[in-house]
Amino acid sequence: MDSRKKILVVDDDERLLLTTKDILENEGYEVHTHDQALGTTGILMTLQPDLVLLDMNMPALSGESLARILLLKVSTRGIPIVFYSSNDEDSIREAVTKQGVTGYICKGDLQGLRKKVAMYVGQE
Amino acid sequence: MQHDMAPIATIVTSGEHVSPGMRVKQVAERFFQEKHLDALALVEEDMPMGLVTRNKLLFTLFRRFGFELYERKPILDIADKNPLIIRQGERVETAIDKALARPFDNIYDDIVVIDDDGRFVGLLSVKRMIIEQSNALANSIVQKELATEKAKELEKINKVKSQFIANVTHELRAPVNAIIGLAEMMKISCEKGYIEQVGDRLSLLFSSAVSLRAIITNILDLSKVEAGKMEVICEDFDLAPLLDEVVETTRILVGKKPVKVDVSVQDTHLPINTDRVKLRQILINLTSNAAKFTDSGMITLGAKRAGDRIEVYVSDTGIGIREEDLERLFLAFTQVEDARTKRYEGTGLGLTITKHLAGLLGGDISVQSSFKKGSLFMVSLPDNKQQAEVR
Repeated sequence: MDSRKKILVVDDDERLLLTTKDILENEGYEVHTHDQALGTTGILMTLQPDLVLLDMNMPALSGESLARILLLKVSTRGIPIVFYSSNDEDSIREAVTKQGVTGYICKGDLQGLRKKVAMYVGQE
Repeated sequence: MQHDMAPIATIVTSGEHVSPGMRVKQVAERFFQEKHLDALALVEEDMPMGLVTRNKLLFTLFRRFGFELYERKPILDIADKNPLIIRQGERVETAIDKALARPFDNIYDDIVVIDDDGRFVGLLSVKRMIIEQSNALANSIVQKELATEKAKELEKINKVKSQFIANVTHELRAPVNAIIGLAEMMKISCEKGYIEQVGDRLSLLFSSAVSLRAIITNILDLSKVEAGKMEVICEDFDLAPLLDEVVETTRILVGKKPVKVDVSVQDTHLPINTDRVKLRQILINLTSNAAKFTDSGMITLGAKRAGDRIEVYVSDTGIGIREEDLERLFLAFTQVEDARTKRYEGTGLGLTITKHLAGLLGGDISVQSSFKKGSLFMVSLPDNKQQAEVR
């Protein structure tokens, strides 16, 4: 059985999904991507990932609203969620506190991405 | 509360005075002749000696035998020898307080004003001071309201500014982050010797850099037009080939979507005199919006002559614009969607710049749209050549 940690990246920016998947796969994770907020709940329930990287600005349903839903549902509330965003860091931090998610990663900070993902999935 | 009021010296109403030795009769005659004279100060060698008011004088004279008794006496005999005296440096409020603190039968309208050396300056009316005070109060209320309004306005501008900066940074970060990620991916590919992956990644990196440049250009353009630093260089040219070129670019932008892009013109030649580069930018902005917001159907770029003007339009069968959103369509960074949930990328600067550019060319831009059906953007431009000929 594959013992690699599973990570789901939810973002509407395809370039971002491509680069994040590639970089994290290179770190040895099993990376799944989803390009919109809608349908994320279903994927989470079947995939049961070890970590979800959630974009904050997405069409139809914002990352914050989606996080609120995921944290309310019994079947998904145990899965750690981190915001993955290009927004201003202070505003991301504010959203983390407000929604009660596990943490955040700033897009573009590759070192941060590697380090924090390792930390959140408990490999560090 | 302190209010800004005129100093006492500037509201002194009268410098009229008489000598304390003047006969009562003469003083009375002055009062009879000068209907507006309410009081006279008695002054000797610049020093105030007393005050005589019209009421007091007439009251004294019209009493039984009053005239006979007093007409030859010096005025000092029947004057108020202890009138209220204030220094001209005092505050109006203090002067009013002092005037009202006097015994009731001694309150009258006039106060003697002296300078720092005790010399007579003039008379001051309590009425005038009170008017002055209430004006100052009214002014301060108006000023306070103005200041509050200004503060609110500033707060609003600040909010728009920080929203602007938040939007700019978000829009700039997206392609920058893609570039960083793609560069990292290429580094990994190179390290692993997967050279065949590099080509694809390089072209993605290239397109991210191009989109970053477009955003920066937009921001700079906007600041340039807003600062009035954009130069207009007019030339004679044919509009038709320009429209063809813009249509070609639009087709590339539409890509694989089932959208037909076409030109519609009355004549094969449409000579015009205007700034070619700016007109091209206007058209590219409008057609790239049409390409972005149209998933299927048709985009038409057309032009027609209307008197000494030329009307150029871009119509599409895209998502359209809600009526309530039309108003803020041309304002900077107000792409009508909420940034947190928006579907279409972009700074929301394109239409603002387009409107400014059209204005620079002496034209204007209008829009008709019906939600979910499509939009029509019309730019009406003066043809400088035609207008010169008419003149």
